[in-house]
Amino acid sequence: MSVKAFELVPAVERDLLMGDKARINVECLECCGKHLYVGTNDCFVHHFLLEEVPSPKGRIAYVAQKLQQKYLGLKKPVAELRAASALERLIVLCDGVLFLVDMATLETVPSATGSGGARIKGVTSFCMNGNPVNADPFCVEIAVISSRRRTVQVYTVFEDRVQLVKEVTTTEQPSVVSLDGYFLCLALASQYMILNYTTGASQDLFPYNSEERRPIVKRIGREEFLLAAPGGLGMFANAEGVSQRAPVNWSERVIGAAVCFPYVVALDQDFISIHSMLDQQLKQSLAFRDGHILQDFEGKVVLASTKAVYILVPLPLEQQIQDLLCGDRVEEALVLTEGAQPNIPRDRFQILHRRILQQAGFIQFGQLQFQEAQEYFRKGELDARELISLYPLLLPPTSSFTRCHPPLHPFADLNHLAQGDPGKVLRCKRFLISYLGTVRGTEASRVCREEVDTALLKLYAEQDHESLLDLLASDNTCLLADSAPWLEKHSKYFALGLLYRCNGQDSAALQLWIRVVDGELQDSTRPDLYEYIVDILTFCPDLDLVWRYSDWALKRDPKVGVQIFTKRSAGKDQSGQPKPDDVITYLEKHSHARLFYLEHLVLERRVQKEKFHSLLAVLYLEQVLSLLGGSRPPAPDQLSHARDRLQALLRESNLYRVQLLLDKMEGCDQLLLEQATLHGKLEDHGKALDILVHQLRDYGSAEAYCLWASSSSTSSSRQHLLHLLLDLYLDGGAGERAGDLEMAAVDLLNRHGDQFDAVRVLSVLPEGWSLQLLKPFLGRAVRASVHAGRTSRLALGLSRAENLQLLHDRLKERRKPILVSEKRGCHLCHNTFSCPDVVCLPGAVPVHTHCIAHRLSDSAPNTHADSAPDKHSTQNSNHT
Amino acid sequence: MPEVSKMKKPDVKVVILGDTSVGKTSLLHRYTERKFRDTISTVGGAFYLKQWGPYNISIWDTAGREQFHGLGSMYCRGAAAIILTYDVTNWQSLAEIEERFLSLTDTANNDCIYAIVGNKADLTDPQAQLTVATDGLTDDQGEGGEQRMKLQVPPACPTPPASPASPSSLLKQVGHDEATALYGRILRYKGLDEKSSLPADRMCFETSAKTGYNVDALFETLFDLVLPSILRKRNENQWSPTVDLEDYREANGKRRGCC
Repeated sequence: MSVKAFELVPAVERDLLMGDKARINVECLECCGKHLYVGTNDCFVHHFLLEEVPSPKGRIAYVAQKLQQKYLGLKKPVAELRAASALERLIVLCDGVLFLVDMATLETVPSATGSGGARIKGVTSFCMNGNPVNADPFCVEIAVISSRRRTVQVYTVFEDRVQLVKEVTTTEQPSVVSLDGYFLCLALASQYMILNYTTGASQDLFPYNSEERRPIVKRIGREEFLLAAPGGLGMFANAEGVSQRAPVNWSERVIGAAVCFPYVVALDQDFISIHSMLDQQLKQSLAFRDGHILQDFEGKVVLASTKAVYILVPLPLEQQIQDLLCGDRVEEALVLTEGAQPNIPRDRFQILHRRILQQAGFIQFGQLQFQEAQEYFRKGELDARELISLYPLLLPPTSSFTRCHPPLHPFADLNHLAQGDPGKVLRCKRFLISYLGTVRGTEASRVCREEVDTALLKLYAEQDHESLLDLLASDNTCLLADSAPWLEKHSKYFALGLLYRCNGQDSAALQLWIRVVDGELQDSTRPDLYEYIVDILTFCPDLDLVWRYSDWALKRDPKVGVQIFTKRSAGKDQSGQPKPDDVITYLEKHSHARLFYLEHLVLERRVQKEKFHSLLAVLYLEQVLSLLGGSRPPAPDQLSHARDRLQALLRESNLYRVQLLLDKMEGCDQLLLEQATLHGKLEDHGKALDILVHQLRDYGSAEAYCLWASSSSTSSSRQHLLHLLLDLYLDGGAGERAGDLEMAAVDLLNRHGDQFDAVRVLSVLPEGWSLQLLKPFLGRAVRASVHAGRTSRLALGLSRAENLQLLHDRLKERRKPILVSEKRGCHLCHNTFSCPDVVCLPGAVPVHTHCIAHRLSDSAPNTHADSAPDKHSTQNSNHT
Repeated sequence: MPEVSKMKKPDVKVVILGDTSVGKTSLLHRYTERKFRDTISTVGGAFYLKQWGPYNISIWDTAGREQFHGLGSMYCRGAAAIILTYDVTNWQSLAEIEERFLSLTDTANNDCIYAIVGNKADLTDPQAQLTVATDGLTDDQGEGGEQRMKLQVPPACPTPPASPASPSSLLKQVGHDEATALYGRILRYKGLDEKSSLPADRMCFETSAKTGYNVDALFETLFDLVLPSILRKRNENQWSPTVDLEDYREANGKRRGCC
């Protein structure tokens, strides 16, 4: 209840009408523009000019100026008055007679001669057609209820005459009539009905006892009527007899009713009740004593008590809506707004509707009804900044945004709204997060992308929200200048770094993160921030940045730091990549990292460059030497690991400078194995084996050396090496070592028996060795010899057989003629033969001599063809 | 929001009739708002616009009080479906349908569909109590001995038809067979052939606005059945040889509806 939809404003006071004459009452009214006509029970018509005067408070007041009053001379009350402004006539019903009066002078219009006159007698009631069917603008249509004959007549009224159009009879005496087009809506004694006066078709509406209660038939729009119904209802009915709106529930004793969209105004003796047609609810109730008349004229609702006239001024729709919103009656305000849509120009409605939705959203928001609020904000296309601006410090100071005026809500800020309740503040913030999340990226928020993103960033940072990093990782428009202090305040240094990077300030980001890694700043967002930085540098195309910050990364952890260089793409396009030489120079200070980098180049990328290989070998060597030369004895596995790496490199690489390394190892008798390898690289096998056998006395290594040094060459070179070793063993000199060497020799022979030249071995073996000792060697040697003998014999046999076969073929070929004609083609070039000189291939295939010569010069040189002048040729090569 | 749709032109009309206090408003309210609320006696009538696919269906809730009886035929004018409602615990309410309300339906469309609905089934039928938590209104395990409408029973409902007869079975005054018999009489009143009309077991419902039992089934069955009526109405309008210059608003509405 209690929307203030209307205001009752006095229009004509009592003293202007009847002064203190008690028995004079207002009987009827007509209002036409500024002209107000009042008919009284003493047969006067009063004519007022009604001026609208806006009062200082924005309200409307009326000042009535009496222009004229006229006695109609019938001594009876003036029953009804209707203006036909196009004709300048008032249609007056008085004492059962309907006649015309000049609107300006109030003089009765005399009947035009010979045209049936301008009077109708025996009239109880009449009405004008609100939807005239006659196209002539200088006439009006009226329906008249005749007092005697249960008839309704339809007349056309001209300036000075009336003309009967149609007369219809009804089953009962009608008491009230309304006319729309051809449709008469009648209140009969016991019911309402609709009657089409041209076709005579009728439609009963519903029963109503007109004698008990005063019937009301009020045309409210095209072919639609408002009727008083039993039970104090206001029923709507259209010309088809169908109700398209739900009824309103007014009172039992309604005297008059009118529609002032979207309200139904009804008058009874004590009250004016105002119902909404949209939800049928009573919206306003105004006390009004001695209510007598309620009529609407061109949208203006005029009321009269018996003594005075008032105007019911509708308050502006916006004000009504604002009143509802002030009372937090969001739903009703929206119903009213949307209901008024047809009455408001489209663009104005959209603005209004949007604003109401936004206000509604803020009301719901104020009540922490976030779901509803969000829906209203969405429908109202709220500028997200309106909401953001409620939250202190979220809008960037650079934002040009100012809140909408008049304000959409009464809140100064969030603290005002939540009244200091931290729980509420938190909920509001969570809502804003979700709201901005949905708004972000929509077309509507395009204008305020920066504000939305920045606000979101701040909220995420403050709430420690996981989406902070997602926001920064995605395409965003967060304002750096405003966000940076905020992120610092909340120790979101990692996020701040990301923001710097979003703004192309990689250097600033790295500086900040380095401080975090170094423990100067605290932010645990990424425990692996160091690796993250290395990763960034690894894929950073800006080499300046790489050179600038790699130093720090390498110092911190050379092994991880070197990935900046080692993990860089090794693709074809090396233009943007640092040159390995530069890197090595750069890594001068970081010996570990340099080693890692060289290993990466040499061992992983297999860069075939002497410089890298030599450098790596030298570094390995230096490492080993430093371990050996250290004050404390090194851990054995550390040393062996270092040596293993060195040895592996020395063995596998062929690029390093051997002599350089040898020089460096000079005199270091702990690196004999390495020296032996280096000698081996110099093909100085005797020296190498000598070191192994005599200095190192490592027979296993010596044997392995032989295998390694000959691994890439022929078996004869291996045999040569093995013999070399055997010789070393056998002339091993005197002393107790001779026995060892002999044993080594025996083992060598027994293990590689098949690789030796047995005859040579036997000739050098000492006489005194037992057969038993050499049995495995001899066994293998004999077996190998037998095997070789048999293999040779087999090969011989096969060769003989082949030879025989070829002889057989030759014989066969010789016996057969070979035909050569100009129509046959050469099998090699497919051209025909033009001269008799041909070469015959095995299988009697003739070819050109030049073709075969060509072919043979291309292929193996040890084959040749034999051309025969007698057209028969044969081939005696081993070519098959 | 229903407020907006009120401005739209309805395509078809469904009217709920029945004696006072049988639960017409509650039925509509349960269907539209998905909840049960105490209602006051309806004054005059009210209506609700339901969007059903591309169509707007207006559902009129009428006042059952004798006082407003005269308005009934106006509400029914042009109706495509009429829901005749009674209270399963009140035999008189079924009788009233025939005595008072049937004549009101004379103004309805010729092909109007009639549904007979026994409301307040939760008072008599244990199945109908299942949808909501018991709120103390009734603990009675009504055991109506009559045939249950298997058609509309949700399949998930455990059916305890053999539960022992309790004194509360007295509550049930109107059986399903009486409703189907009434349906037959209505068809005869309308001069309709029983064989060509919709069968009684499809058009007689027992519902509970309180628990929501069978309410959706009722309305949705009806909506589906009135669809041909809508289409026919539209086709008639489309084929009309007369160009109605003033009918632009409706025409727009139709075009919107089609897409």
